[in-house]
Amino acid sequence: MDQTTPHRDPNNAVRLRDVHLSLGTGAARVHILKGVDLDVTEGSSLGIVGPSGSGKSTLLMVMAGLERSDAGEVGVAGQELTTLNEDALARFRGRHVGIVFQSFHLIPNMTALENVAVPLELTGDRDAFAKARAELEAVGLGERLSHYPAQMSGGEQQRVAIARALVPSPTILIADEPTGNLDEKTGRQIVDLMFKAQETRGMTLVLVTHDRSLADRCQRTIRMRSGVIDTSPLEAAPRSQAAAADA
Amino acid sequence: MSGAQSANRPGVMLALRFALRELRGGVKGFYVFIACIALGVAAIAGVASVSRALTEGIAGEGRTILGGDISFSVVHRELQPDERAFLDAEGAVSSIATMRAMARAPETDDQALVEVKAIDDAYPLFGTLELTSGGDVHALTQANGAGFGAVVDEALLVRLNLEIGDTIDIGRITLTVRDTIANEADKLAGGVDFGPRLMVSLDALRASGLLQPGSLVRWHYRLKLNRANEAAGAEATDMVSDARLEDVIAQARDKFPSAGWRIRSRANAAPGLQRSIRRFTQFLTLVGLTALVVGGVGVANAVRAFLDTKRPVIATFKCLGAPGSFVFIVYLAQITMLAGAGILIGLVLGAILPFAAGIALEQVLPVQVINGIYPAELGLGLVYGLMTALAFALWPLGRAHDVPPSALFRDQPGESSRLPRKRYIAATAATVVALAILAVALAYDRYIALIYVGASSAAFVLLVLVGRGIMAVARKIPHVHATEWRLAIANIHRPGALTPSVVLSLGLGLTLLVALTLIDGNLRQQLGTTVAQKAPSFFFVDIQNAEKPAFDTLLAREAPKAVRQGAPMLRGRLVKLNGVSTEDIEAPASAAWVLRGDRGITYADAVPENSRLVDGAWWGTDYTGEPLVSFEAELAGELGLAIGDTVTVNVLGREITARIANTRTVEWESLAINFVMVFSPNTFAGAPHSHLATVTWEEPVTTEREIDLLKAVTAAFPTVTGVRVKDAIDQVNALVEQLAWAIRAASAITLISSIMVLAGALAAGHKSRIHDAIILKTLGATRARLIAAYAIEYAALGLVTALFGVIAGSIAAWFVVARLMDATFTIQPAAAVAAAIIALVLSVTLGLIGTWRVLGEKPATVLRNL
Repeated sequence: MDQTTPHRDPNNAVRLRDVHLSLGTGAARVHILKGVDLDVTEGSSLGIVGPSGSGKSTLLMVMAGLERSDAGEVGVAGQELTTLNEDALARFRGRHVGIVFQSFHLIPNMTALENVAVPLELTGDRDAFAKARAELEAVGLGERLSHYPAQMSGGEQQRVAIARALVPSPTILIADEPTGNLDEKTGRQIVDLMFKAQETRGMTLVLVTHDRSLADRCQRTIRMRSGVIDTSPLEAAPRSQAAAADA
Repeated sequence: MSGAQSANRPGVMLALRFALRELRGGVKGFYVFIACIALGVAAIAGVASVSRALTEGIAGEGRTILGGDISFSVVHRELQPDERAFLDAEGAVSSIATMRAMARAPETDDQALVEVKAIDDAYPLFGTLELTSGGDVHALTQANGAGFGAVVDEALLVRLNLEIGDTIDIGRITLTVRDTIANEADKLAGGVDFGPRLMVSLDALRASGLLQPGSLVRWHYRLKLNRANEAAGAEATDMVSDARLEDVIAQARDKFPSAGWRIRSRANAAPGLQRSIRRFTQFLTLVGLTALVVGGVGVANAVRAFLDTKRPVIATFKCLGAPGSFVFIVYLAQITMLAGAGILIGLVLGAILPFAAGIALEQVLPVQVINGIYPAELGLGLVYGLMTALAFALWPLGRAHDVPPSALFRDQPGESSRLPRKRYIAATAATVVALAILAVALAYDRYIALIYVGASSAAFVLLVLVGRGIMAVARKIPHVHATEWRLAIANIHRPGALTPSVVLSLGLGLTLLVALTLIDGNLRQQLGTTVAQKAPSFFFVDIQNAEKPAFDTLLAREAPKAVRQGAPMLRGRLVKLNGVSTEDIEAPASAAWVLRGDRGITYADAVPENSRLVDGAWWGTDYTGEPLVSFEAELAGELGLAIGDTVTVNVLGREITARIANTRTVEWESLAINFVMVFSPNTFAGAPHSHLATVTWEEPVTTEREIDLLKAVTAAFPTVTGVRVKDAIDQVNALVEQLAWAIRAASAITLISSIMVLAGALAAGHKSRIHDAIILKTLGATRARLIAAYAIEYAALGLVTALFGVIAGSIAAWFVVARLMDATFTIQPAAAVAAAIIALVLSVTLGLIGTWRVLGEKPATVLRNL
């Protein structure tokens, strides 16, 4: 197992304890996460909201093993991430974490099918392309397999990104402003896709958003403020949006 | 579990697959990279192939070039009957004699130094002598009613303003010029010519009076071996085996140990020429390597720029579970494939080069250059190309390993200046060292190659430091009020500035250019002025003992104000040092020439002029003891000779051993009468010899005055040969000129590489330049101001780089001229100014080309697309 002691906690997909993180050097060094404690139950969905610079994306990156905390414990999918080296972290992500970015981050010189197959190819899965094809069909892109990112719309690209995040059947799906670059209608379709996958596959969903209505679709929402989780009660979203989300 | 995990690790094949997918984006941004590699590889593979084609051509035509399977040559004398009988028993023999003489046109009284070649009826044993009108050389050179005939080089007719059918005088006879020589296959074996060829029969030479005791005539006996005991059907050709060849040579040495003949076999027909080709090949290979190293800067720039654009992709790979080492392999594979494309183009060009050279050299060489593809030589280009690409790409590629996946969210300051992991630093160092070892190991002269590798590495490191130094100085410059200057200074030192790549790419090319220009200029100056001013006007050779008093009287009358020197002169070969055969002595390259071939030797009562006694004592005027010799001090040191040691020379087929009595220094560059060995007069008592004389005017005299003296001498002494030093220097200058063109072509390749890298570096910085320019225009900067700012920046970089190029190039040139060639070095300001102008023009022009266009556009148009 990736050079670490197992940190089993059957109920929590994410378990953060007193997580600190600073970025930059010298005078430019900024203390971003200031002692975050957080548990996310397996199979649940969590929305993270907060103003720009509050540390919500950084928190997401720590959970995804994209950023190393300076102090504290980071347990994800039963694995303590702070003890893993860079390569072990990469392999961990490949198996357990699916990530959806605001800017899609598809690989421009690969077709939709190849983009989705990459995580499976990296783990040596012989059925990588068959599974990737099935995943693309599941997100409604069965006809666009051999298209390159530049030949697709923003919504299509994000659907490819979701297929790519889902194809290794990760324990946890992480999304950073997944609808930030999309129009409202397309954004809603994308969100539906993610929640549907979370429900049907029983995976944990953590998403960062500025959009309160999107956050309210999650089973639980937290707000970040100046590097800590703000425990004051959240304001309710406008009723109509909340109702739509519940539907 | 761990086994299962390692099995899941992405492998090399997957990396290759990913690399191929990534390359679908095309090679944009890699044109300079590919061109640099192609150019360097083409230069190295091409030069190596041409060299191989030439040496194989010479080796393949060995018998034709040599004129026989074996050639035996002796100076001053013909072979003894027993020696000749030995050769006759082994096969067909052709004897020819070569010497220098004066050809005079009786009608005009013009004269020219000619290389006389007297042939027997058996000539040529191999190959053919082609005459322009297609006639037979023997028929044309035989005596008829009008006397002997001659065939000559076209150049002699031009020089003496003659036509076919005209007569010329040689020695004491008159010859009719009956044809010109179109191709003389055995000419290459002869060495440097100081005049055009004049070919006559042996009978004509004997009749000319040129053959006197002690005359500087060389007799060559070419032997076409018979099969002896070899089975006639052993080979389809008439070529006898190498074993038989070696056997005859061994027998000749064994039976006639003191014949003093120089023996050459068809396998080593033109050793001097082959040495020259190897030496020149090494030089051109090193220049080619410089082009590759300069191109390497372009490789590094291209890889760095490429990886910058790929940061999001690399980070995405990492987010999706790819380890850093996998990412490294993916991009290493891409760079290797792109380098492969460059190498392939270079190899194709390199393979074509021998064919082009074959056509170009057709007129110069009497042998066919072997046109073909030379896999080993092309392989050399491939290895050099690949190693250079890796040496410059591994470092930036190593950084790709550590691109953090969080780069997708934010840039991290300082990350680009971080060192790659130790393994990549070690791999870069190993490749650089391997490249250096390869360059030195394959070199003809490893000492020079080692110096070259050291010097170019030093230049490289220094240029990196100069680049950083400029940035540091620019950073410290106090606030300047003029906006253009402030912008320019800021551009020089800001993060990601062009300074390091501009200084490095331009600096390496300029350094080489300055070094080659200064070496070339110094050699020309040396030959054209320094030597010409100090050297005598004339050398007169083959002055017979009996003629000597009359000759001296004539010189005193015709050139009363000139300095007239003379010395007895014989030709001999050094055959033993302290009883050890010179063939068994491994002499250093700088002294090996003394042991090779014939040397002029002399005897004297007193220390000759231009010499100074270093050690030991000179013999007395009437010395009669054992033969003594004075040896040139530096050469004695290099050959390990000390006072009291013995040297054995073979003169006229006799071996004479003398003890070294003293050593002395000689002013070689004076071109006066200088000998390595001066013997005590009793050593050669009674031996037939001739005299050598020089005439030196201290005041400059006109060409007419010189020609008048030559006419007076040759009219009175037709068998004396006069060499006008200015003509000889012109000949050498012409040779240097030809070599200089090859050198210029080679350095042009480096400069082109430099320009490409520079253009590439400037183009890479172009995008951010446009961005800055548009923002500044939006804020109110005029075009003139922006152009001034950029011009100041580029000019400052160009000037500092030129300064470095001039200093480093001058040091390199000084080392070559003063230390390796032992000549006087002078700085030539013209080269420095030229380098500065080139640097300025290149940096400013290339820098402004792209910016100029965009400055004319409306900011809004560009802003929308930024």
